[in-house]
Order: sequence, then C-alpha cells, then structure tokens
Amino acid sequence: MSDTAGALQHPWPDLRMQRAGVSLGMWMFLASEVLFFGGLLVSYAVYRSFNEEAFRIAGAHAQIVYGSINTVILLTSSFTMTVALRAATANVRRVTLIFLGITAALGVAFLVCKGLEYREDLKEHLFPSPQFPLSPPATAMFWGFYWIMTGIHAVHLTAGIAVVLVVWTLFKRRVIPVQGSTMEGAAIYWHFVDSVWIVLYPLLYLAGRS
Amino acid sequence: MTNGRQQDRRYLWQGPGVAWLALLVLFAVSLGSAYLPLGTGNVAINLAIAAIMLAVLATFLMDLRNSVALVRIAAAAGLFWIVIMFALTFSDFLTRG
Repeated sequence: MSDTAGALQHPWPDLRMQRAGVSLGMWMFLASEVLFFGGLLVSYAVYRSFNEEAFRIAGAHAQIVYGSINTVILLTSSFTMTVALRAATANVRRVTLIFLGITAALGVAFLVCKGLEYREDLKEHLFPSPQFPLSPPATAMFWGFYWIMTGIHAVHLTAGIAVVLVVWTLFKRRVIPVQGSTMEGAAIYWHFVDSVWIVLYPLLYLAGRS
Repeated sequence: MTNGRQQDRRYLWQGPGVAWLALLVLFAVSLGSAYLPLGTGNVAINLAIAAIMLAVLATFLMDLRNSVALVRIAAAAGLFWIVIMFALTFSDFLTRG
C-alpha cells in the first residue's frame, strides 16, 4: 500500500530530512534567481526614479484587466500546488495528481492570457520602435522593461509547467512515488514564479492608474 | 475512522485556503488603492502590499514557518543580497551631484 520505501533515497535517514535537503537546494538556487531578477528590478527602480512622470504615462497603457486576471490565476495556482504538495506528503496519490493537473492547467491559462495581452500591446505598437506612440521618449524605457520582465517571467513559468507535467507523468506511471521529495522542489519553484509576478504586477500594471 | 479521514483531507486545503483568500484580499486592496489619488503614496502602498503578499506566500504556502533553520537562512540570503544590491546602487545614483 505505502510506497515509502521507494521514496527514501541514499544517504537520507528519513523522508523528513530528505525533503529538507531538496528544499535547501531549491532555496539556494532561488537565491541566485532573486539576484537575476534583482538586476532587472534595480534597473527599473533607477530609471523610474529619474523618469517618474514618463513611467506613470507609460504604465497607464498596460492592460490591467489581463494583468489582474493573471494575478488571480497565479495566486490560485499557488494554492492548488500547496494542496498537491500536502497530498503528496500524506501519500494521497489521487488528490496529488488532480491538483498537480489543475496547477499545470492554470499555468497554461496564464500563458494564454499573456498571449492575448501581448497581441493587444503589439496592435497598439507598445514596444520600443520608430512607431512607438507615447511621449516623452522615456516611456519607451518602461515598455522595454515590460517586455523583458514579463518575457523572462513567462520563460520561467513555461519551465515550471514543463516540470509539473513531467512530475505528473512520473507519478501517474508510478515511476517515482508521490511521497518522495520530488514535489518539494517542484512546489517551491512554482511558488517562486508566483512571487516574481507579485512584484511585477504593481510595477508594470498599477503605475499611473490614479 | 471516517471522521479522522475527513480531518486529514481538511488539512490538505484548509491552511492553504486561508492563505489563498488572504492573498486575494491583499491583491484587491492593492488594485483598488492604485486608483486613489495619493501621489507617491500609491507606489509605496502597492509595494508594501506586495511585500506582505510575498511574506504570506513564503511563510504559509512555501511553508518556511515549518522549515529547518538552514532552509530559512538560504531563503533569507536572497533577500539579504537584493537589499545590498538596492542599497549600493541607490547610494550611488541618489548622491551624484
């Protein structure tokens, strides 16, 4: 019935320590990711501090409906991922598979919504080019940040969806047991992608609304 | 027996569900406050709410509250270095003549 024996790997004495080991490794990786996004965030902050009005004008043109829907989608996906992790830890295989599937579906929904948003942005020529419609010129800087930040976030989310789907398949085919430490790493990474969006949302969508 | 199983199932979603609702409320407050004419107060409020949301996510959904000390230190390392990055960068830009 229980597949705990298959879940425990050498050299860990028990599953709790094994999960803590995976968690530590993932957090150390995420610390480097924080600095990766940190470079972009500090650049944004510097340019915004010198071009306050331009960033307000440019930010008012971001598609707030798509951005807000996507925020709700990602927050919900973090909830479903946590339920999947708790179910995996409790060795409730069926619930783990269902909630992992919902998490991946929400990730795909985010990307579809983002694609629709990008289509609207492109229609309005909101990317740095000779046809860029806004002024002063520093507004193009905001949109440069918008494309780079949301693009890199989308790449991270795509990687997260791929990881979740691989883990789901491995669980479904019983290649690895749900109770192992695999879910620990996948869940922490997924929440990190959500965390990045929580920071990007006010910077890119709420600037210049009042 | 059934009652015990129901309690087990409730454990799966109850805690994360409360954190999720808190995140949705914070998101709604952030969105609503962005339309109030508060000047630079808007960005301060939005970033403060984002910081609270990150804390809720890390504490309850990423489960740092039940993590071992070493994991918490690794998580704090990212935060520590990004604070250093911001502090050093702005100590340059904001003090230029």
